[in-house]
Amino acid sequence: MVDSLFPSIIEPTGDDNTSPESRRKRRRISETAKEAESSSSKAQRISEESSKRWRTSRVQQIYASKLVEALRRARQRSTDAGKITTTSAAAREIRDTADRVLAASARGASRWSRSILARRSRVPAMSMKKHRKAKSAGGRKPRKDAAAAAERKRNKLPAVERKLKILGSLVPGCRKVTVPNLLDEVTDYISALEMQVRAMESLAELLAAAAPRMALTRP
Amino acid sequence: MSSRRSRQSGSSRISDDQISDLVTKLQHLIPELRRRRSGKVSASTVLQETCSYIRNLHREVDDLSDRLSELLASTDDNSAEAAIIRSLLN
Repeated sequence: MVDSLFPSIIEPTGDDNTSPESRRKRRRISETAKEAESSSSKAQRISEESSKRWRTSRVQQIYASKLVEALRRARQRSTDAGKITTTSAAAREIRDTADRVLAASARGASRWSRSILARRSRVPAMSMKKHRKAKSAGGRKPRKDAAAAAERKRNKLPAVERKLKILGSLVPGCRKVTVPNLLDEVTDYISALEMQVRAMESLAELLAAAAPRMALTRP
Repeated sequence: MSSRRSRQSGSSRISDDQISDLVTKLQHLIPELRRRRSGKVSASTVLQETCSYIRNLHREVDDLSDRLSELLASTDDNSAEAAIIRSLLN
């Protein structure tokens, strides 16, 4: 049995003929269908899809069992290497493992999941420095009346734009994403996080119930 | 050449349509905002609530990781219990 973080593929799609022609036809049909959808029903569809993807109990069960496997493997690896000493380091490892398994469950369908999986280890954000330099280079404009109007307009929006940026920074890999894409990512990310919380919560309850002796002997 | 209302929906300017779109969709998503249902939530509020909601979820995951690290430390020695847990989960 192959040990891997990626869940085994795939659900049956009923896709028997995978010839390029039929695939192209299908894609074209679905594209025109998408255009015909009004934006509100599309919004509902996306959030429903996210719900279906992350809210079924089956998904949660699968995640929970994969998480347990991954946690045991990670603990084994760390104790063998003698790395884990403090509970905070252990907690961080659990957090990282949980995030990776969560991202793997997304099967590469979302940007945030791909970004999490691309993180090999805790690398400091070096791209931040590049950002800062570019901004200061272009910000030296003389303040004249003509530019004051533009300044005022800029000052009207920044609350929203600023918050949009913060939102983008909260979702992994979504700092420079367009607004509609950011929306899709946020929707999916929130549903996934909610599932992660539910699964970890139930896991903690199970473990607490399974080891009452240990809980009692704690001071 | 700056027009009075620069409505370019390029990467630099965000159109109002996109924002109102974002607001309505996020409103359905965030439990805090679903409860309010006043129909007149500002974009700024929605974004603020979304950000704090995500931060809360992150914090919950961190807390759960702490709890799990303590629990796993105590059950490591007992592989029989681990087998029970695994079977319960499947």
